Amino acid sequence: MTEFELIQGLRNGDESAFRYLVDTYQNRVYNTAMGIVQNAEDAEDVAQEVFIQVFRSIGSFKAESKLSTWIYRITTTRSLDLLRSRKSKKRFGFIQRLLGEDNEPTQDIPDFNHPGVELDRKENAARLFKVIGKLPENQKIAFTLHKLEDLSYQEVSEVMQTTVAAVESLMHRAKQNLRKLLEKELE
Amino acid sequence: MNTNKENRIDEILNSLDGCTQATAPDFFYTRLKARMEREVAPAARTSWMLRPAYAFAGMTIILLINVLAVFNQPRTEDNTAASEVDTFQSLASEYRLNEGNSSISMYNLNQDK
Repeated sequence: MTEFELIQGLRNGDESAFRYLVDTYQNRVYNTAMGIVQNAEDAEDVAQEVFIQVFRSIGSFKAESKLSTWIYRITTTRSLDLLRSRKSKKRFGFIQRLLGEDNEPTQDIPDFNHPGVELDRKENAARLFKVIGKLPENQKIAFTLHKLEDLSYQEVSEVMQTTVAAVESLMHRAKQNLRKLLEKELE
Repeated sequence: MNTNKENRIDEILNSLDGCTQATAPDFFYTRLKARMEREVAPAARTSWMLRPAYAFAGMTIILLINVLAVFNQPRTEDNTAASEVDTFQSLASEYRLNEGNSSISMYNLNQDK
């Protein structure tokens, strides 16, 4: 199925086209979300939301970029939304507990282990993910797409709707920040 | 910074090299379809107003307003009849119905007085 046929099928509400879309992109979406939200359940939740959004707004997709670029963009946006809501939940956890909406105290997220990391690197990767989580949003997205999804700077720039030079700069700053954060961690 | 620490940081930074893609969990499509069907026909969601804390607070506020309204009501004498006549009189004078030379005067509102 070509991308054009897939888009047409989705626009016509064809279930086999939707199934094909999910089969083709589910791992890319899940892996990207997993790198950003650093939790398997949340990543699945984000991935589901991404496909629902793709299904609902395929009519507004103008095909100015590749379908995969558009899907990556939705994935990163949704993942960041989840991180923001997680942060605000944590911030207002005390008030929520007072109102009786959430009686369980908010817990710090445990170290994240990415399932694709080799066994002998798991400990180092967990440390790295911990500091990736502290990066500014743009740097986090650029680093995750490049390192985890193996996208080129050109592809990352298309997803982030910016220039290749800007992505290079983001990656450079991300690495510098990670280095500083790791130095503190190792002290 | 000493070389050991530098090497350790490099090791950590390179720990994602060769990392394979995480695969979506089994039955992802089935769960996705189920969620989509749920969202198409959403069950009647409980409004926040129906939560006990909010409902009770709302009821208390309404009750307080009512109590305050009852206790602050000014004691007025029963002068309904007088005020009714006043209203008729003002209406009549406004439309010049009680003037003797009015050609359209059909009914003298003051006749009952």
